Amino acid sequence: MAEPILELVDVRYRYPMGPEALRGVTFSVAAGERVGLVGPNGAGKSTLLLAIAGFVAAAGTIRLAGHTLSRRTVRDVRRHLGLVFQDPDDQLFMPRVGDDVAFGPATMGLTAEEVHARVHEALEAVELEGYEGRTPYHLSVGEKRRAALATVLAMRPQVLAMDEPSANLDPRGRRRLIGLLKGLPGTILVVGHDLDLILDVCSRTVVMDAGRVVADGPAAEVLCDRSLMESHGLELPLSLAARYT
Amino acid sequence: MHHVMLDHFAARPGRVHRLDPAAKLVAAMAVILATVLVGRDHFLPLVPLAAALAAYHALGRIPLGYAAKRLLIVSPLAVAVAILFPFLEPGSAVGSFSVGGWVIQVTDAGCVRAANLLAKFLLSAWAALLLVSTTRFQDLLQAFQRLRVPRLLVTQLAFMYRYLWVLSDEMMRLGMARAARDGGAGPWRLRFHSRTGLVGVLFLRTYDRAERIYWAMAARGFDGTVRSAATAPMRLADWLFAAAVVAGAAAICLWDRLIYG
Repeated sequence: MAEPILELVDVRYRYPMGPEALRGVTFSVAAGERVGLVGPNGAGKSTLLLAIAGFVAAAGTIRLAGHTLSRRTVRDVRRHLGLVFQDPDDQLFMPRVGDDVAFGPATMGLTAEEVHARVHEALEAVELEGYEGRTPYHLSVGEKRRAALATVLAMRPQVLAMDEPSANLDPRGRRRLIGLLKGLPGTILVVGHDLDLILDVCSRTVVMDAGRVVADGPAAEVLCDRSLMESHGLELPLSLAARYT
Repeated sequence: MHHVMLDHFAARPGRVHRLDPAAKLVAAMAVILATVLVGRDHFLPLVPLAAALAAYHALGRIPLGYAAKRLLIVSPLAVAVAILFPFLEPGSAVGSFSVGGWVIQVTDAGCVRAANLLAKFLLSAWAALLLVSTTRFQDLLQAFQRLRVPRLLVTQLAFMYRYLWVLSDEMMRLGMARAARDGGAGPWRLRFHSRTGLVGVLFLRTYDRAERIYWAMAARGFDGTVRSAATAPMRLADWLFAAAVVAGAAAICLWDRLIYG
């Protein structure tokens, strides 16, 4: 197995005055691997993403691209982690799409020409060429989703982590996103309930329930295990369910 | 859901639309300043200012009805102040009436001042309206930044512009969800209660959203300053436009001083 780019060891977190969301999560992701993270609502998937980015102070060890997450290294970790949030309206906070995509590279201290090149490259990668001057408010959900992806691609992160990337997308928008994700190089961590998307995009699947990892293996194998899926509030991906019934 | 944006006509191609936003901002400020500095009962110096605005209006091809409607929306405040002048300003009486034993006089000087105030208000609001109707809000923000308006203020304005409609969509959705269930009927106490609940929910959601937006910013390395891509430099035409308007405005102020002393 190649050198892990993301390593989680016994990650625990309890919300202030709330339930324990993460109860000792341990797994690692090799460079270039595509991992789907699935589980029922409240399993702790989104909290785990926030913990990796250092937004919730979890106990345990989190290593990303050679940096062990701590108060001191949180900026380095975030620099290598491309986090795409569930609601693109949260992600796209600048008045213009171009400014938003430029935000990350500009914050990294790149020169104006480099920022411009990165913006162009990222928008091209998500098939939104010429959208620099558009207002995020006026984009369709699919366009917003792709623009949000571009904002992190422009930073060329080592690990791309997405929370429910296909939520609220129509079938065409979803297919387009799947096509885009399959074409992206690098390590990808997809969190969500769209099991077909994960089966299509990811080679490996981690199942979480009640703050713990309950299964981890090749995507086709894990997602095909009907009793495992059903015992954790999930089901077979539709494409497989049709084949097995 | 869709709203009429603040800068509805600003995205169109046009001669005045293409001018540099900073040049337009300076020009608008110069016109407003000149309007305000003209003596309080002088009308003649306002005529060339109005003519200049009318020319700009025509070049920008902004529909008259659109402009009139917007000026009307902002006018109540000025009208509320102006309406008091005829009664308060000392001068010779042009009419009087009595209300329950009180004799109230309308003075000529007061009428002149009220008319002057309204004219100045209309010109200033018109100048501001023309600015936002021919400049996209995002460009205006960049102009603010170039004119050294404090960054924090510009950032605030940018966020306001970005999220104003997202929040009003949220408010509309909450309102619809409520109306779908009570249809606007029911005891007033319950309706009042649900309305206050709505405001509370909106506040909480806004607070949550603010946190998520901050996370999205921090995830991309936000360190307190918003950097954006560089803008194109001002062209000769932009400089000439700004200089001409500032010089014209200064000349009008000077003229006002000279003829009226």
